[in-house]
Amino acid sequence: MQYPYQCIESCNRSATEDSRWILFGGRGSKLVAQSSTGVASVWPPEDEDLAVSMSGWHEDEPTEPPGKKIKLSHSNDQISTFSSLTLSHDGQHLIAVTSEDKSIRVFQIDSDCNLRQLSQRCMARRPCAISLTEDDSTIFCADKFGDVYALPLIQPSEDEQNGTPADEPSEQDTPKHYVPAASVLTVHSGRNRKVLEEQMKQASKGQKKSKEQLKFKHELLLGHVSMLTDILHATVEGRSYIITSDRDEHIRISRGLPQAHIIEGFCFGHEEFISRLCLTTSGLLVSGGGDPYLCVWAWLDGRLLEKVFIRDAVLAFLKNHPNLASSLPENDDSFRIAVCGIWSVPRRKKEQDEILVACEGIPAVFSVRLDGTTTIDAVPLIGNALDVAFVYASEDSCTTVVSVDNIHKPGSTTEIREDEGTSRLQYFAHLDGRWEDDTKFEDKLEWFSRQAPNDARNAHGDEKAVRDTLYIVENLRKRPGAEDQD
Amino acid sequence: MPGKPAKKQKRQQFKKDVEGEEADGRLPQKKFYRQRAHANPFSDHSLEYPRSPSGMDWASHYPAYAVKSNEGEGRDESRGEGETAKPRSTSKQVEIADIGCGFGGLLFALAPKFPSTLIIGMEIRTSVTEYVQEKVRALRVQHREDGGYQNAACLRANTMKFLPNFFEKGQLGKIFLCFPDPHFKQRKHKARIVSYTLNSEYAYVLRPGGVVYTITDVEDLHNWMVEHFEKHPSFERVSKDEQEKDDCVEIMRNETEEGKKVTRNNGIKYVALFRRIEDPPWP
Ligand SMILES: C[S@@+](CC[C@H](N)C(=O)[O-])C[C@H]1O[C@@H](n2cnc3c(N)ncnc32)[C@H](O)[C@@H]1O
Repeated sequence: MQYPYQCIESCNRSATEDSRWILFGGRGSKLVAQSSTGVASVWPPEDEDLAVSMSGWHEDEPTEPPGKKIKLSHSNDQISTFSSLTLSHDGQHLIAVTSEDKSIRVFQIDSDCNLRQLSQRCMARRPCAISLTEDDSTIFCADKFGDVYALPLIQPSEDEQNGTPADEPSEQDTPKHYVPAASVLTVHSGRNRKVLEEQMKQASKGQKKSKEQLKFKHELLLGHVSMLTDILHATVEGRSYIITSDRDEHIRISRGLPQAHIIEGFCFGHEEFISRLCLTTSGLLVSGGGDPYLCVWAWLDGRLLEKVFIRDAVLAFLKNHPNLASSLPENDDSFRIAVCGIWSVPRRKKEQDEILVACEGIPAVFSVRLDGTTTIDAVPLIGNALDVAFVYASEDSCTTVVSVDNIHKPGSTTEIREDEGTSRLQYFAHLDGRWEDDTKFEDKLEWFSRQAPNDARNAHGDEKAVRDTLYIVENLRKRPGAEDQD
Repeated sequence: MPGKPAKKQKRQQFKKDVEGEEADGRLPQKKFYRQRAHANPFSDHSLEYPRSPSGMDWASHYPAYAVKSNEGEGRDESRGEGETAKPRSTSKQVEIADIGCGFGGLLFALAPKFPSTLIIGMEIRTSVTEYVQEKVRALRVQHREDGGYQNAACLRANTMKFLPNFFEKGQLGKIFLCFPDPHFKQRKHKARIVSYTLNSEYAYVLRPGGVVYTITDVEDLHNWMVEHFEKHPSFERVSKDEQEKDDCVEIMRNETEEGKKVTRNNGIKYVALFRRIEDPPWP
C-alpha cells in the first residue's frame, strides 16, 4: 500500500549554499528528504548503499530513478510514526515528534541532505505540538496532559554521561522515603481509605519505581488541565510570549522564559475544541478547530477581531463538486468541519495577511485573505489536504507544496481509492492573487512524491493504522455525557 | 453516578414543595443530596460554563445586586431564573471564591462576616451544588427582613479547567481551598487542586495582595500545597503571626463540614495562607 506524507517541512537556504532548498516528509515511520540539487535520503537508512545510490542521482538523469535500487529487505524495529516536523530558524536542525514512543528527536541536517539523529528524548506524555524560541536554544513541548516543558535543543553532554535525572519538577517526584499520604486519623471516603491501605502495603513491600522520571534536562513551564493542541512562541516589542491552545476552547497567553508562570490573558471565543494556532505576517493570531469559524485575534489584549466562517466555504466547495457532494449530510446545519492546519502564506508586504486552511478529509486548501475584506478561495486538490510547506525556488518565487492523501478517496477519511499512483504532493504558485499549478516542481520532486520507499510496515496494508495517523483532529470533539457522572 | 431514585425523588419533591409556596424557608436535607466522593476533573462532564467572564450571568445568582441594564427595556425583575438570554450583571463583582465548597459550611459562615462582599461557592458535584443552592434560597427567605445571604451563591463548575471562564484577571481577593480531595495515588497528582501549573491560574484571578487559604488534615497534602505555592514565584507564604490574626482562619477551621469532622475525630488541621505578590517587570 502506498503511504502519504502525514507531515512535511521545508528548509530554504540562501543561494550561496550548495542546496537551495530541502523538502522533508514524514511517511509512517520513515523520514524522507530531497534537495533542490536532487540529493535524497531516507531515515532511518534502510540499506548501506542507499546513500551512495542517492547521491549519484541528479535531476538531469531521471531515467534511472533511484527508487528502484532501494531494497526493502530488512524489517525495521523503529516503528514509531512521525507526527510533526519543525525546522530550526537557522535551518540547521530538524525537530521531529514521533508518537508511539512519545519522543522528540533532533536531527542535524548535513550539507548533503543526510539526516543525523543527535538525540531522542522520550517524554512522559505524548507531545502534541512543539515550538522553538527565536534563538533556537529551547524547544517548548506541549503534551497530551496539558503541560508545557522546555528542553534545550542541543542536549547538554552531562545528560548522557551520568544519566541522572536533572532537576526533575516535583510534580512527578516520588518521595524518596515512602510516607503514606494520610494518617489513620484522616477522615475521608471509604475509597480513599482503601487507597491508603494499598499504599501502606506498598510501603512495606518497598517503593515502586516511578516510570515518569526523565533522565534529561527539562523544565515544567506551565500547564492546562486539558489536552494541549498547539503552541506558539512569539516576540513583540522585545517581549516574548507563549501561546497555548487546548481541547476545552482555551487560548492562553503566558509570558515567555523566564516568566512563563505568569498568565497575561486568554482569548475567549471558541465553542468547540481548538486544534491549530497560526500567527500571520502582520502578527495577528488565527485559531481554528471544531467550530464552523476561525477566530482572528488581537491576541495581546485578548480581543476577537473577526470570525471567519470557513465552514460555509467548505460546504460551498463540496456542493460545487458533484462527486464530493454525496458525502454531505441532508441538512447543511449538521455539516461539521475539523480544521487540521492553518499556515501563514509568506508575503513581502505586511499588510497582505493571507493564510491557508485545511480541514480534515477535505480535498482542498482554502486561502483566506485578511486584508479587511476577508475573501476565501478554495484551491481544489487531488486528495485530502494533509500538510503544507513553502519552498523557494529562487529568492522571489515561492511555491506552496501540499501533501495530499493518495490512499483515501477525496472527501473520505475511510474509503480506499481504486486508482493507484496518485502523486503525494501538489504544487502551487501564487500569481496575481490566484493559485495556479506550479509544474516546475513535478519533475524535481518526482522521486519524493512518487517513488521514495514505503514504510515496510505498511506493506501489510493496515488501513486503520494509516487512518489513525492521518485523521486525528475530529476525535478531539467532546462527547458530553460519555463519561459523565450524575 | 446517578443518585438513588429515592433520593432523587425526595429532592424533586422538596423542590416542588418550596417552589409552590413563595415564602418557604425550609432548609434542604443533606442526606438526600449525598454523592460519591470523587469526580474526575479530567473528564468531559456536561458542564455549563460561560464562554468568558463577560458572558457570565451573575445577576441570576445575586438577584439583589442585579443591575437594570436598560430602564426602557422593562425586563421582568421577578425571581424567575434563567429566563433572559443575555447575561445580566451585578453592581458588584464576586471577590471571594470557595473552591470545592462541598455542602457550603464555609460559604454560609463567611456571608454574614462579609455582608457587602459577593461570595461564590464552586462545586463539581451536581447534587451537592443543588443542596447549597437550595440552602441559599431558604436562608434568603428566612432573612428577608435583614437582607442576609443575598451575597452568597453556589454554582457547579470544574474549577481546575474553567476558573478563568468565570473571573477576570485580578478580580478575586480571597480563594479558599478547604480540605481538598487528597488524591493519594501517585499517578493522580495532576488531579490535585494545587499544583505548580494550576497556581498560575489562581495567581491570574487573584489581585496582588489577595490570599489563598488552604486547610487540610492530610499532612502530606499540606506539605505538597506548601511546597507548590512556595515554589511558585507569584506567591509568598503568609507568616504564622499574620495567619492567626486573620478571622477567616478560625472560620475555616470550625465552619467547614470537613473541619467539624476532623474536630470530632480529634484530628490535626494544617493551615497555610499564601499571598499573591505583584508581577515582576518584564525581563
Ligand atoms: C473533601 S470535600 C471538602 C468540602 C468543603 N470545602 C469542606 O471543607 O467541608 C472536597 C470538595 O471538592 C470538590 N471538588 C473536587 N474537585 C473539584 C473541581 N475540580 N472543581 C470543583 N470542585 C471540586 C469535591 O466534589 C468535594 O465536594
